[in-house]
Amino acid sequence: MAIKLGELATTVRSKNAGVNQITFDIIFRNPQDYERARKSGKLTREAIARFMGIPQARISDFVEFDVANAIKFTIYRLRPGGSPGDWDMLGCQQYGPLLDIEIP
Amino acid sequence: MRILISTGHLGTAPSNPESFHRGMETNPDYVVADAGSSDPGPVYLGANIRLGHFARDELELFLTATRKKGIPLIIGSAGDSGSNHGVDHFVAMMRELAQEHHIPKFKLGYFYSEVSKDYLKGKLAHGKKLTGLGGFPDLTAEEIDQATRIVAVSGIHPFVKLLDMGADVIIGGRCGDINFTAAPCIRAGFPEALAYHMGKMIECASLVAEPFMGKETVIGTISHEDIKITPYHPDQRCTVASAAGHSMYERENPYYEYTLGGMLDMRNCRYEQFDERTCRISGARWQPAKELRVKIEGAKKIGERCMGIAGIRDPHVVRNIDQAIEWCKTSVAKRFGKEKYELYFHVFGKNGVLKELEPLKDAQPHEVGVVVEGLADTTELAEKITDFAVRMFFFARIPGVKGTAGTAATTKQTMRSSPGYLWNVNHTVPIDDPLELFPVHMTEAGV
Repeated sequence: MAIKLGELATTVRSKNAGVNQITFDIIFRNPQDYERARKSGKLTREAIARFMGIPQARISDFVEFDVANAIKFTIYRLRPGGSPGDWDMLGCQQYGPLLDIEIP
Repeated sequence: MRILISTGHLGTAPSNPESFHRGMETNPDYVVADAGSSDPGPVYLGANIRLGHFARDELELFLTATRKKGIPLIIGSAGDSGSNHGVDHFVAMMRELAQEHHIPKFKLGYFYSEVSKDYLKGKLAHGKKLTGLGGFPDLTAEEIDQATRIVAVSGIHPFVKLLDMGADVIIGGRCGDINFTAAPCIRAGFPEALAYHMGKMIECASLVAEPFMGKETVIGTISHEDIKITPYHPDQRCTVASAAGHSMYERENPYYEYTLGGMLDMRNCRYEQFDERTCRISGARWQPAKELRVKIEGAKKIGERCMGIAGIRDPHVVRNIDQAIEWCKTSVAKRFGKEKYELYFHVFGKNGVLKELEPLKDAQPHEVGVVVEGLADTTELAEKITDFAVRMFFFARIPGVKGTAGTAATTKQTMRSSPGYLWNVNHTVPIDDPLELFPVHMTEAGV
């Protein structure tokens, strides 16, 4: 049965990584949950770009970080953090929609 | 060697004194704290203003506790941006606190990190490339001229220098957040890889442990073989999961950390549970840089800024909010088209936080709040334009609207905000000597 990422993962967060990028960390409780998410095809570079509606070139880094049972990716901002027009200066609320991704 | 840290960002909120004193009872070798970050945006560096209302409270806690025991205290990135003004302000507060508490005389070291525009333009003139980071194009003389203030991000070097000069307390300008911890470790002869990695692991204090708590004390212990991280809040533990999870926090990539002088390679790190509350970490490698390149940060001013708020409850206007915004934009352009201004609409209830990244495009909220953000060269004009844009929501002309007494709820005066700045320097510059941009100074404080 499919489960939402918000239920499967222990941590889903986003945060500035430097002034022009936001990084997303998705951390799982154990290697089993991590493997399930990793193999689902829902958390690949391509799938994330599609889900966020951005070109893949906007994803600057995508890593499966086994030691932490984590998937981590980083995107470029359109304008640096804290610029006029930005309302998430720390990038810390950008993870919200990820919680609803369905993991088979 | 053991290093105590109680805050990830000095001054934003007070450190919890209970876990701090519990840690201090174990007599650590150093107490360190990071007072700065680029995270709060470019306005602090650009406008030379300080963030955080608790800097004095935290410095008071740290200074009195460390001087009582003769433990050196190291603060990095003073005043948030690490500008000269931030350093001077922290040095002045240290002097005042030392007087107030009748602390016996001690050596107070500090260093600056602002970089002159002429120095950077000189590099360009000599054919050196100022390489962009994080997607920035290489730096030009025009952008250097437009920046109001530029700081360089130091390595361990000015901290080591000041410790060599006998400093009891160090106030640092802008520095990499791993360096105020790595400096005393490397100076004491511990391996660079472990020293920098410990700097990385403890720079946010209790965020490395679980459950999630801010502003609680942790102590990092370095040996020649490993580092160990122990939290001092009784309900926190540093686990393999929390430490490994933290190792990738707020960085583009979990494996590499760059700083002035080299790169920390964390690909082969091992995390083990050492005891109930302590995680043991080993395996990092240090790769010295072939060329010394220092990171520089700078901000340029866009304009003075005001904000106003409009609340909308009419379901017809809510459904047609994009049309209402278009009406506002057009009205402003018609009246102020000859002026230089920027106008932004943050539509909370629709996509105020995520903007173009909001996947829920067709959600139907029952009300929305619109924050209008307006910038212009003068506060008067910014206020006039912002206020006018908010009024235009009240007068929005949307076909079919039933309410003819006003299409937005408004209250209070349009508010003045901080000036608008843009990060325009996020680059590296080649240097010959890791101390050349960070002049060190020594003074005395206390009675």
